[in-house]
Amino acid sequence: MSGSLVQYFPGQTFFHRLDPRAKLVFLIFVSVAIFAIQNLYLSFFILVVMVFLWWRANLPISIVWGFLKALLPVFIFLFIVQAILYPGETILIYPLIPRFVPLIGGIGRITLQGILFAVLLMFRLLAMVILLPLVSMTTPVHLLALGLVRIGLPYRFAYTTTAALNMVPILQGEIGVIVDAQKLRAMRTFEKGKFWEKLRSYPALVTPLVIGAMRRAQSMAVAMDSRAFGAMKTRTYIEDINLKWFDWVFIAVTTILSIGVIVLAAML
Amino acid sequence: MTTPAIQLIDVSYRYPRSKNTVIRGINLTVEPGEFLAIMGENGAGKSTLCRILNGIIPHSIGGQLKGKVKIAGLNTREANIAQLSTKVGIVLDDPETQLFTTSVRSEVAFGPENLNVDPEEIYQRIQWSLDVVRLTGYEDRMPSALSGGQKQRLAIAAALAMKPEILILDEATSQVDPLGVVEVLSVVKELNEKYGMTIVMTTDQSEEIAKLADRVIVLDKGRLIAEGTPRQVFADAELFSHHMIRAPQVSQLGVQLKEAGYPLPVFPITIEEAARGIVEILSDKSSHNSLGDNIVVTPLSSFRPNEPPIIQVDNLNYIYQPHNVHAVMNVSFSVPRGEFMAIIGQNGSGKTTVLKNLLGLLRPTSGRVTVAGLNTSRAAVADMARHVGFVLQNPDQQLFAETVEEEIAFGPRNLGLSENEVRERVEEVLSIVDLQELRNEFPPALSKGERAKVVIASALALDPQIIVLDEPTTGQDYKGCHQIMQIARALNQTGHTVVFVTHHMALVAEYARRVIVMRGGQILLDGSTEEIFSQIEIVRQAHIIPPQITELGQYLPESLGLPRTPLSVDQMARAIITRLNGKINS
Repeated sequence: MSGSLVQYFPGQTFFHRLDPRAKLVFLIFVSVAIFAIQNLYLSFFILVVMVFLWWRANLPISIVWGFLKALLPVFIFLFIVQAILYPGETILIYPLIPRFVPLIGGIGRITLQGILFAVLLMFRLLAMVILLPLVSMTTPVHLLALGLVRIGLPYRFAYTTTAALNMVPILQGEIGVIVDAQKLRAMRTFEKGKFWEKLRSYPALVTPLVIGAMRRAQSMAVAMDSRAFGAMKTRTYIEDINLKWFDWVFIAVTTILSIGVIVLAAML
Repeated sequence: MTTPAIQLIDVSYRYPRSKNTVIRGINLTVEPGEFLAIMGENGAGKSTLCRILNGIIPHSIGGQLKGKVKIAGLNTREANIAQLSTKVGIVLDDPETQLFTTSVRSEVAFGPENLNVDPEEIYQRIQWSLDVVRLTGYEDRMPSALSGGQKQRLAIAAALAMKPEILILDEATSQVDPLGVVEVLSVVKELNEKYGMTIVMTTDQSEEIAKLADRVIVLDKGRLIAEGTPRQVFADAELFSHHMIRAPQVSQLGVQLKEAGYPLPVFPITIEEAARGIVEILSDKSSHNSLGDNIVVTPLSSFRPNEPPIIQVDNLNYIYQPHNVHAVMNVSFSVPRGEFMAIIGQNGSGKTTVLKNLLGLLRPTSGRVTVAGLNTSRAAVADMARHVGFVLQNPDQQLFAETVEEEIAFGPRNLGLSENEVRERVEEVLSIVDLQELRNEFPPALSKGERAKVVIASALALDPQIIVLDEPTTGQDYKGCHQIMQIARALNQTGHTVVFVTHHMALVAEYARRVIVMRGGQILLDGSTEEIFSQIEIVRQAHIIPPQITELGQYLPESLGLPRTPLSVDQMARAIITRLNGKINS
């Protein structure tokens, strides 16, 4: 089983060795930049940087393909909607319905601006879905938790959050098994069903998933409590994290570049 | 006088928001260095008792705890979790929920870190505890990438790093394969013998308990109903028949011989003792005439090569992507209609992968699988499901409905049957699995054994000709195991083909007619159950431990003329009794 988007992917790359705090800074600034920027070229630039970092971090490129495949229906939908409805100037294909018809007149016209806007949305979405695993897959959970603690969060909170992150791959696997179990009961929807039918069958997954997650959470709580989790106000850490010179450089570059790009986008 | 490791005085307990008292008036004293085994059916209160012993009850889980619990002199109600965690370590059944960090090192460090132990000291403890569980050199590995036995040994190391005086193992071997069980138990044994650690263990591995435990207690509905040395407890036929406490097979044999009027001189709890006893009573009457010829060993109905194959697997290969794991290599076999077959082997030997290829949950990387005339690389799983009732391992992931009835009706409805036909099928399978009384219950709220039955019933409702069970008995107690296998046997007798995977070799020996042994993705052996278990040396290569009764058959001198490969206690007992009756008559 792979394709778990948050599971730690061991490695010794530059990105792996960065301090979790530096990566948290990176996560925040880049998210803001992705949200703020509406410019096609700048968004493409961010996406390229994300893919470049992904490649440098030695993460499997197949996962990015997986994202692309999963998001493809959304992209196509957006593409069509934007291309047809976006009020652009440069008309590529003339409307099916002449402009002078009231209300629906002009619909069906495809403009260059519409297409470009759809492409922009795709770049931003893709950059966003790469960003989170780029951080979570290169940072061991306990160090991520420690990063949060050092930033000033209480350790119980930090660990519970990261434990939840740990559950994601487990739940993903669980969904796979439950879908299999439903197929085995002659449920055709997931194999041959239409999109809407599939959507309608998802609630049936919820009961076993929730019950399973609750059982798991309970026994995990027993296991953690048995090892004195939260028994004292503070705790020690065998692996400490230190901001080294390259962390500072990385933080500086991330900050300057993100702000720079946002400012640039605002000026254009 | 030393302080007892554990002292319970009249302890009763009720979970929060529950009316049931799950522990009732238990009194128990455990001395330091003692090895105590707790046995009992699922739901008897074993796990609850463990949680009371380590203070999780009442500190983390509330509820109503009555009586006095003293652990190494500390009253658990007054002491805090931090203090208690340095007295008692616990290892639970599910490796996935008790390991939560991303490296072996940080997993072991987690506990002492919580106790504010100095990092330098923690490093020493990591080294020591990994050494004890033999995981030195694994520090940087991810726990999720370890084998089942390794994961449980890591859980032990994590508990040891808190420097406890008592180690509790709550069904810690129930989810690992036989090799894992051996690994875990050898570590536990060493802890008890070499380090003098007090051990409390809930398990139904009675053969091992017989060798390891100083004392066994038996729980039933929250009460302590029996207590004694393994020999005393396993000799109690009542416990076995009424409370379904699985005694070692040699002890079951001892009980049967005793009831037939031929008690062994020493009641056996190990193979060696049983063998010694049997040799003694058989040669006792120093009869010279060999009666070997007169012994009627019930011939085992061997498998049925004459029937047309309903499952045909030719050169199956399966490679898991993206890591390119070649899980199944050139596997070929065919299963005639009406077969009752087991596939056995270590975890990771490819058993489940083969099963999943039988109906398209996985599609062959190469090779051909034909089931009920359909090529499984093309057919939809939902179509295959009419022919093959496949029951996955964990019942909880296969229950979607609000009542048992609705659960069973789920499949037939998907087939588009009329409401009348659906009702009919529901009634039919409810009676097969004997769940009529529970038809309106919420499936996830049923007991583990009942949940398994609901899942089997749901598969049966599609009226398949083939039943495939993937580890149906994992986590089930003795009663549950046999109920499930009895259902399978009944189905087989009405013409269904049954294929199952399990780690319980006693069940394989008792129920299967044919066995395929897998190792490293390939078939190591394929033959009748008796043939397979008679080749004990080869079977061991696949890290399979044959049933104890079979080992006894091989251990006994051949000159006794007893079955060399007995598959059940009954078979062996009959052979010995026939032999003794013959002697008396002559």
